[in-house]
Amino acid sequence: MEIQVLVKPAPETEGRIAPTADGSRLDPAGIKWVLAGYDESAVEQALLLRERSPGTIVHALSWGPAPRSEEILRAGLALGCDRATWVEAPPGFEPTGIDAARALAAVLADRPAELVLLGQQSGDSEDGLQPLALAALLGRPGFGAVSRLTWDAAGRQFSFLRSLDHGAEEWTVPAPVVVGLRQADQDPRTAKLPMILKSRKMPVDRVASATVAAALDGHPGSPPLRFSLPAPRSGAKLIEYASPEEAAQKLLKRLREEAKVLP
Amino acid sequence: MPDFSLSPDLESLQDLARKFARTEMMPRAAECDRRGIFPEEIYRKAFDLGLMNLNVPAEYGGSGLGAFQQCLIVEELGYGCAGMTTSIIANCLALEPILLGGTEAQKREVLEPFCRSYHLASFGLTEPGGGSDAGSLATRARRDGEGYVLSGEKCFITNAPHASLFTVFATLDPELRHKGISAFYVPREAEGVVPGKDEEKMGHRASSTGTVRFEQVRVPAAHRLGAEGEGFPLAMRTLDMTRTPIGALATGIAQCALDHAARYSRERHSFGKPIGEHQAIQMKLAMMTSQVRAARLLTWQAATLIDAGKNATLESSVAKCFASDAAMRVSDEAIQIFGGYGYMKDYPVEKLLRDAKLTQIYEGSNEIQRIVIARELLRRYAP
Repeated sequence: MEIQVLVKPAPETEGRIAPTADGSRLDPAGIKWVLAGYDESAVEQALLLRERSPGTIVHALSWGPAPRSEEILRAGLALGCDRATWVEAPPGFEPTGIDAARALAAVLADRPAELVLLGQQSGDSEDGLQPLALAALLGRPGFGAVSRLTWDAAGRQFSFLRSLDHGAEEWTVPAPVVVGLRQADQDPRTAKLPMILKSRKMPVDRVASATVAAALDGHPGSPPLRFSLPAPRSGAKLIEYASPEEAAQKLLKRLREEAKVLP
Repeated sequence: MPDFSLSPDLESLQDLARKFARTEMMPRAAECDRRGIFPEEIYRKAFDLGLMNLNVPAEYGGSGLGAFQQCLIVEELGYGCAGMTTSIIANCLALEPILLGGTEAQKREVLEPFCRSYHLASFGLTEPGGGSDAGSLATRARRDGEGYVLSGEKCFITNAPHASLFTVFATLDPELRHKGISAFYVPREAEGVVPGKDEEKMGHRASSTGTVRFEQVRVPAAHRLGAEGEGFPLAMRTLDMTRTPIGALATGIAQCALDHAARYSRERHSFGKPIGEHQAIQMKLAMMTSQVRAARLLTWQAATLIDAGKNATLESSVAKCFASDAAMRVSDEAIQIFGGYGYMKDYPVEKLLRDAKLTQIYEGSNEIQRIVIARELLRRYAP
């Protein structure tokens, strides 16, 4: 089996996040990029599927600007992916949204992978768009919110669970399929030092932006009007009281009249 | 000109160590310190990730890192917990004499099992009667048939209560002083190897330190490292390789103290404003920042020279000495910034001072480092 696992760089949440000077978008300067959380799970699940089905090839794919995409692909190689391809984004394209789906679909269309696997949503833009947009563009079945993904090599089909707010669905779908993963069967592994060293020397194939330009043609990304940080948290308010009853009364009053979270 | 920034290759190693320090070591550091716990499961994880036998070449299954790469990793681990770091990197020290003085067969015999599964090794040089005066060893090696018989006691040996292998320095003839010393490796299961109790220490309490006694221990000649009488230079060459990472470990302690102090300076208010807005605190933070950065750059310089195959005797002594003194100064000032809270064990900074102290003492005390620095300096001013 061949798995194309899609990996996206997302800003490290502990890092310093700030808007650009004109306030239009997130300032990429000084940001440390890490493998987006759900994509980390997707890589883990791809590696687990390979362990359970020897001979499987796990191919990491990322679309975006250098060097962050290349670094994320090397992180994937260090975790154990067999190969990596960087799809170069033309200048001016944000590596997210429908542009990403169009560019990635243009590359994936020529790749006969049984499984296109990615996180159900990215750690930064949280669109949750890619699995279904890619499936539509590739003309393959697509599913989000997937867990417990297994491969039946004899029947050439995948089984999985879709966890929804109101319950869970069990599915069996013949390959090829596009899957947005909610959770891997185990916590994502940590890359080991020898693998990190090895990954630095492995090739990362490059698909030039010209190759995907036709897919993007006439579809310039539409940026948001403004980017702003969440409002800083205000300080805690202390309630002064003489008895527990008084504390409860004062707290209820504040929840009703100030916070307006109680009727 | 170097711009002192790290390549993506180096950053990826630093990231691994940083993540391990923050997610595995730091959450357990305070508890292990308080109760003197040797957290073996953390050391096993460090081994699994390749963070343990950093200096062992890949051909024997180790990580095969150069000095600079080792320093980047050790600083991050030192930031997480100095005591755990000492136990994690003790294998580097104990196995280095085998790397430097062992035959191919000896390397394969010892190093490969260490890299295949989790084992700890201990470096046995210091004795109850002498630390810095390493030439006056009292542990005796006596020729006996095809091999040797070792007798004597080593002390302050990192990981000794848990080690499965000891590299031991012993003298064939005390009259010969340095020239009588030979190096051996001794498996723990050899008859007469008696590890002593785990010492109660001021700091580095997640590490384990103890004595080990050799009671008429038979050692085959095949376990001697180098020729007879070559033990002392081998010990010195070993410490030449491991001294610089101690500078990195101390830098990690200092950086951790600075981060705590700077964060606290933004949060803690006095006289109506955050204490970081008082110049008294700013002066301290500026001094601490300078110390940390200088310590790091001196360590990087020594490591770069070692990786280039150049002599780094002066630079590695400067780095170890400066960085460990910096760790003391910076952690001391961090406590001062925290005030009364800094003196309390519920806050993280007093541990850093206790941990920093050892870095001035072990792997060549700072007084010995200064003697080396002065000797190297004066050599250059020969009339």
